[in-house]
Amino acid sequence: MVDGLIAKSLNEALEALDNKEYQIVAGGTDMLIQNRSHSGMNIDYKKDVLYINLIDELDFIKVDEKNLYIGANTRLETILESKLVPQILRDVVIEMASPGIRHTATLAGNIGNASPAGDSLVVLYLLDCELEIKSLTKTRKVLLKDFITGVRKIALNKNELITKLIIPKINLTDCYFHKVGPRLSDAISKLSFACGYSVENSIIKDLRVAFGAVYVTVVRSREVEGKFIGQSVNDLKANLDDIINAYEPLIKPIDDQRSNRVYRKNVAINLLREFIENIKED
Amino acid sequence: MKDISKSINKVDNEEKISGSAEYIADIKMDGMLYAMTLRSSIVKGEIIKISYPKIPDNYYVIDHKDVQGKNIVKIIYDDMPIFTTKKISYLHEPIALVIGPEKEKIVEILDSIEIKYKEEEPQFEWEDSVVDFHFDKGEGERVFDHADKVISYDYETGYQEQAYIETQGFIGYQDGDKTTLIGSIQCPYYVKNALIQALDSEPENVRVIQSTVGGAFGGKEEFPSLIGCQLAVAVKKIKKPIQLIYEREEDMLVTTKRHPAKIHFDAAIKENKIKGIKAHVGIDGGATIGLSGVVLSRAMLACSGAYTIDNLDITGDVYKTNTVPNGAFRGFGAPQMMFAIEMFVEHIAKDLNIDPLEFRKSILAKQNDHTSTNGVYRDPILMPEMIEKAMKESDYLRKKKAYANPNIFKGIGMSFFFHGCGFTGSGEKKIIKARVRLRKHKNNKAEILIAAVDMGQGVKTTFRKLVANILEIDIENVIFNNPDTDYVPDSGPTVASRTMMIVGGLVARAAKEMKQRWREDEFVVEKQYKQPDYIKYDEENFIGDAYPAYSWGVNVVEVEVSKTTYQVKLVKTWSVYDGGKAIDEKVVLGQADGGLAQGVGYGYLEVMNHKQGKIQQKNMTDYIIPTAKDMPDMETYLYDNPYAFGPYGAKGVGELTLVGGAPAVAKAIENAINKRIYKIPVTPEYIMELINNAKN
Ligand SMILES: Cc1cc2nc3c(=O)[nH]c(=O)nc-3n(C[C@H](O)[C@H](O)[C@H](O)COP(=O)(O)OP(=O)(O)OC[C@H]3O[C@@H](n4cnc5c(N)ncnc54)[C@H](O)[C@@H]3O)c2cc1C
Repeated sequence: MVDGLIAKSLNEALEALDNKEYQIVAGGTDMLIQNRSHSGMNIDYKKDVLYINLIDELDFIKVDEKNLYIGANTRLETILESKLVPQILRDVVIEMASPGIRHTATLAGNIGNASPAGDSLVVLYLLDCELEIKSLTKTRKVLLKDFITGVRKIALNKNELITKLIIPKINLTDCYFHKVGPRLSDAISKLSFACGYSVENSIIKDLRVAFGAVYVTVVRSREVEGKFIGQSVNDLKANLDDIINAYEPLIKPIDDQRSNRVYRKNVAINLLREFIENIKED
Repeated sequence: MKDISKSINKVDNEEKISGSAEYIADIKMDGMLYAMTLRSSIVKGEIIKISYPKIPDNYYVIDHKDVQGKNIVKIIYDDMPIFTTKKISYLHEPIALVIGPEKEKIVEILDSIEIKYKEEEPQFEWEDSVVDFHFDKGEGERVFDHADKVISYDYETGYQEQAYIETQGFIGYQDGDKTTLIGSIQCPYYVKNALIQALDSEPENVRVIQSTVGGAFGGKEEFPSLIGCQLAVAVKKIKKPIQLIYEREEDMLVTTKRHPAKIHFDAAIKENKIKGIKAHVGIDGGATIGLSGVVLSRAMLACSGAYTIDNLDITGDVYKTNTVPNGAFRGFGAPQMMFAIEMFVEHIAKDLNIDPLEFRKSILAKQNDHTSTNGVYRDPILMPEMIEKAMKESDYLRKKKAYANPNIFKGIGMSFFFHGCGFTGSGEKKIIKARVRLRKHKNNKAEILIAAVDMGQGVKTTFRKLVANILEIDIENVIFNNPDTDYVPDSGPTVASRTMMIVGGLVARAAKEMKQRWREDEFVVEKQYKQPDYIKYDEENFIGDAYPAYSWGVNVVEVEVSKTTYQVKLVKTWSVYDGGKAIDEKVVLGQADGGLAQGVGYGYLEVMNHKQGKIQQKNMTDYIIPTAKDMPDMETYLYDNPYAFGPYGAKGVGELTLVGGAPAVAKAIENAINKRIYKIPVTPEYIMELINNAKN
């Protein structure tokens, strides 16, 4: 049998983590499923459990001049309804799960779960999301892309907790998210795609592309993006094949019970092509 | 008299919406134990040895050695053991039940059981034919001798999972010599008869009661007999109440599914007309035969679709493979064939450069035409006006023309189809012999005593309404409790779109007699099925009237296909059905919406496959059925075309509404992408392949 601790404050949670190893559970919409057992039986947790979903101080959405801050405990439904949250992030949230799940699930949970098919990750990578991570004695910041290290692998120490997401305010001419799921609602992505750009005087000032579920982690390459930033819109479009060729080796999807690698790769490239072709001059 | 079609509130609405309806999992009994199933971890071979841990007090292992009667589940074809003796022929085949008061402990016991196997090479190819049928109509194959040319194509359909909300389950208890099961089932008497054989009990010592059923779709036709037998064997031995309920994954991995099918067609063409069709229908039976032969015959009988073809040569095989046994599913073989024949006729027209719609209309079946087995379509067929209606409401011709433009990726498709109502062949007369009873109580209430199950489809509403209407009393004065074999006669299984037409027909006859005698205090009227005299069927040779009546339908589906992601979006559907007289319009419309969603889902969404005998989509996350968001606005029109022997003229509607969905959506996608479609489901992956590689 495992123990459970329902933390009421951040400090209580950090103290507990400092004492022993816990399985952290926020909304539980991944954890309950992954540790399910037969109906009528206890959840099959393998470790003691620290429930953090009642820590109110981690439930907030705030902004300052530079950033948007989303608390680790903020529910997806709250994010969906907040005017402070950029549209592209709300667009991804509305495509996640179903209303019931969204009322309990969190973004920190989607990050902590680190599934290649985690929808919010694609947009959070695109927006250069950073995480604030706390232990009893230390607060650190880490870029999301450095935090997720593999399939269900994150760089979190046993005594640490994600406390907030820090999302820099950026100005893009346009950006969007495209989920390719097997049906229109309540479904796991076959792949997903997010992109954005900004143009000034017909010159590409910023270009961002992220792919989900086509590799062990979200695929975003600043190196490739950098090659094309600074080009004119016309040149960029003329170089479409180069762009595709640059991304092609990074997209390495798998076959599974939901789709196959040929489809995932093809559609990823199609979405990239569609994005580039639709970039507007100004 | 008021029109019986006018809808009333479904009688089970309140208990289901409020949550007070009692499903199997809601029933708790004193001292109740739980059962879980020990299953094989190999696909094919033999058990050499099973090593059990020490089994604690009040825990039990029940296996084939405990079966007092015959270790075979009584289904139509007796080849499924209740528990395997040692031979394993599919993955997760049941070996034993482990039973006890604590689920945690049962799991622990299951985990520590060691089984040594001798493995054998499994068979997944469709080579081992265990049932084969053949019939001819007209000149049969000889018509090919004088054909101008032959057009041939192959079509394929996949698995489909019933995906009922409530998984399989029973509770059983023993009272003296009597074994009682309460279950989520479609066919109380199938279970009862199976138990009598398994327990070697007298009929009066076996009782089966239906609990509220949370969906079935055919999945609770024969499968419950298997687990019912397992549980009953345990209950009779242990003499304590025991609950056996499947978890979702277990249910999806081991219960029967729709048979995957491969259908080959040759058409003899002369002067641009179809002179004859030769077909071979192969279906994958899985590891046991069960109902597969009957499924195959329904598929074969549907081989000319809604059309009349004078010369036929039809063969079919059920193949045995080392995969989960397949079984009953709404439509029962017809959905596979209806997809194939609808595509084939369309493809023939395209090959002949004839407008497919005109071509199809020119060969539609008409009243007095001969069916595929030389029976007769005796009743009027309204297809021409139904098609007209569907086309007008959907603006079919204009859209079809506009969408021919290959750059707009929109499509519209229309399917024509029929469904034979009731059991195939002489099943009703020879096997089922349905009996119904109606009891007049002293307090002027009438009680319906039949074995028909309300699994959500509305039987409780329509039957009470039927009887109330005939007796001219309030529906509140008509009693219809869940069937309990101690009280109701065997009116047959709740399958094959037979319930209203056959059982309802009998109940109506009983009610008419009761009406005559209404002044009497208390009495019972009993009626038994009598086949209309003109219906003659030769089972062996497939000659004659395979069904007493036919329901007809037209589905139109409009879609958009994404050029970027190849995903299909349903835009709207229009359906026209002739299911005879609707006993309650809303109930029929419920069947229409649900049936079409399930039929269209089968056509474009629902992927299920196995890998080395293991089902890959084992939960509702991976097995994709349409949600309310995926289904568009569905318009439905009902045509009233009464059948003389159905109550008020009702025929079958439960399956009819499913069988046309797949060909309609497949044709719509074909229209949108300008590529021929040969298999369902038409997934984005398949569409991509077609767009990138296939010729038009
Ligand atoms: C029906 C259903 C549909 C779904 N649909 C989607 C979908 O469309 N798209 C999608 O991406 N996901 C989907 N999911 C998955 C899930 O809902 C999301 O991943 C959700 O964001 C998880 O959040 P949670 O708070 O419930 O996480 P939990 O289950 O509580 O936790 C998930 C992981 O994150 C860790 N964690 C949580 N909070 C913290 C923290 N503050 N610090 C450190 N670690 C933490 C936990 O330890 C755990 O490892 C679905 C789930 C269900 C059940």
